[in-house]
Amino acid sequence: MKRIYICEDSVDGIFTAIYLAWSSRYGHNNIKIEAKSKGGHYTNLELFSDYITVDTDYELALKVAKSIKEKISLDVYEILCRIALSNYEAKADLMYRFLILGFHLGPKVMECLSNEIVNQIFRINKNVNNEVHHMLGFVRFSQQENGLLTSVIHPKNNVISLITPHFVDRLPEEKFVIYDENRHLASLHIPSRPWVLLELSDLDKDIFKQFTYDEDSYQDLWKTFFQRISIKERENYKLQRNNLPLRFRKDMTEFQP
Amino acid sequence: MVIQEQMSIQKKLEILSDAAKYDVACTSSGVNRSGKGDGMGNSLACGICHSFSADGRCISLLKVLFTNECIFDCKYCANRSSNDVVRASFTPEEISELTMEFYRRNYIEGLFLSSGILISPNHTMELILEALRLLREVHHFNGYIHCKAIPGADPALIEVLGWYADRMSINLELPTAQSLRELAPHKNRKNILKPLRQIQLRREHTKDYLGLPGGKQSLAQFIPDYHSSNGTQLVRKVWSANAVVPDPQIQEILTSETRLSPYWNNPIMDRKYVPAGQSTQMIIGATKETDYQIMTVAETLYDNFDLKRVFYSAFMNVNQDSRLPDTSQGPPLLREHRLYQADWLLRFYGFEVKELLNEENPNFNVLLDPKCDWALRHLDLFPVEVNTANLSTLLRVPGIGTNSARRIIMARKSAKLEFNDLKKLGVVLKRALYFITCNGKMMYPIKIEEDFITRQLISSKDRLLKGIEPDITYKQLSLFDDVNFVLAQGNQIQLAKG
Repeated sequence: MKRIYICEDSVDGIFTAIYLAWSSRYGHNNIKIEAKSKGGHYTNLELFSDYITVDTDYELALKVAKSIKEKISLDVYEILCRIALSNYEAKADLMYRFLILGFHLGPKVMECLSNEIVNQIFRINKNVNNEVHHMLGFVRFSQQENGLLTSVIHPKNNVISLITPHFVDRLPEEKFVIYDENRHLASLHIPSRPWVLLELSDLDKDIFKQFTYDEDSYQDLWKTFFQRISIKERENYKLQRNNLPLRFRKDMTEFQP
Repeated sequence: MVIQEQMSIQKKLEILSDAAKYDVACTSSGVNRSGKGDGMGNSLACGICHSFSADGRCISLLKVLFTNECIFDCKYCANRSSNDVVRASFTPEEISELTMEFYRRNYIEGLFLSSGILISPNHTMELILEALRLLREVHHFNGYIHCKAIPGADPALIEVLGWYADRMSINLELPTAQSLRELAPHKNRKNILKPLRQIQLRREHTKDYLGLPGGKQSLAQFIPDYHSSNGTQLVRKVWSANAVVPDPQIQEILTSETRLSPYWNNPIMDRKYVPAGQSTQMIIGATKETDYQIMTVAETLYDNFDLKRVFYSAFMNVNQDSRLPDTSQGPPLLREHRLYQADWLLRFYGFEVKELLNEENPNFNVLLDPKCDWALRHLDLFPVEVNTANLSTLLRVPGIGTNSARRIIMARKSAKLEFNDLKKLGVVLKRALYFITCNGKMMYPIKIEEDFITRQLISSKDRLLKGIEPDITYKQLSLFDDVNFVLAQGNQIQLAKG
């Protein structure tokens, strides 16, 4: 009978499941790992399978992380973290399949780009990286009355923990919050303290509704600049949409009425 | 002239960003610098685009003029002294505050400060310098700054400015000295090239700059690795003192031994001198230079002045000046696009201008990109075996870019590559299939024949930058077509023997 490990949709959750699945010695082909997002449902229940629910165990996850770093490479470890944060449905099982290859081939596993599994990892990693890079530019902060900078984002992948360090480095003396409204995650930075990632309860979410976004004169200045910098004779909305997909615009100051 | 005493910052920004929009270089790339733990700002070598304006161009920097007042009267410029437009000037304080507040809100990656010439080149440069000094020393701004050097300003000012800026640029404006004389009577080529040279020498002289990534390229002997099969780097050949430079003026400035800067000793700074290097810009289509002339100038600038980028700006007759070409049909965007494609070929693909163009064919093919065009004229070099060809050979295949070429070299270490693998590696097979074999086989049994491949390549429509297409009509090639037609811009287009 096939075993399906259901784990939490997080780096640690997936790593824990990988540890348990691997050490069960049940045979790679008889195992499948599925990451279940909070409040999500089983994607597709399969007949004739054992479902095993995995409780995230930080110690076990750490062991997996350590052996990836030692036996494969730090690069691959970072790539797998990004895969775990991606929105790719079957990522947990893909990571498992990839690690079978990775522990066999060592650091050069990422070179095998023509291998289907490696190629998929490569593509998802690129996709996450692209979104991270987009967000570094497209995040917009609004200044609240007390000087706090707030930003709301709706990324496809769970990139908040990947983008926050950039802003911490860039704005060391600012107090700021970035809020992923889809995932109810917020990162908070207070000067000269380490930044934190918060999971917001329903109550906390209302706080974000109180923030106003329009009483900041620099917003108008920015909109003015944005409109003036375009050359009329070269207008090209297709190119603009290609470079700046519509999905980002609802969170960007210059596209607000 | 309208003079307004108390102009709001909103109004000033309106005027001075509008006046700055024709400047092309809005990149924030070339320097990696992490935050300092205080103040504000960092910088990523890859650059970050913060928005895209309605014309599809990237907005990365707060691109404004310090002032649109100008004592010069360049025929192509909207701010020329003979134009009756509303004039405005920022103060250094306004510039620095605007930059800081925009930066805090993550609107921008930094500042791009250009300017008209107020009172004198030196006076203008001093104002720009003050704005930059405020940013760096008072606001502790650690983000990206690109600023213009004003032609004709004292070398001492350029020297100081370079310690505050990340990138500096001086616009060449027009490809030849003669055109410059005609259209920009107050500028002269020597005044433009001298600061370029000064900054180049200064960058080379900064000792801690040696051997740093993206740093000193000149003098180092990088030679394209045409021989190694797994070569990892392909860098353009660079500066040599006895290079053949066609332009006597450039020659003169290159050989000049005089120390241009009065401050030759390094001040103690935690920054490097113009760390992101220099760029320049040329206006395309205002004068009668051919693509060959333009690209030759660009090549000279890359090879001899260590420029990071040359930008091409499709001419727009903003002043409706009857002495200049009419652009009511729209600016020559396709031509600009081809020049950028060729520019990429020079910088990343190991091409030289003389391979792409020559006196007989001085302009790029409108229907084919420069690389396809080159490949079709060199069919004897193809097909190339993907599993064995070296990097520089792969880079010359249409449909294979720098990334996919590197991936091919990586992936073939562990497996023999097939056509469907290439697709996964990012190769554009639609174009590449005529020029490559996988394990000795072509994708389809096709004849390597110029006319046939030309027709196939032209019929696939993905080559042009989005949105440029409407201006061109694709003519069906008929048997009797002696294809040799002339486009509105006066470019002679020669199709590969119709």
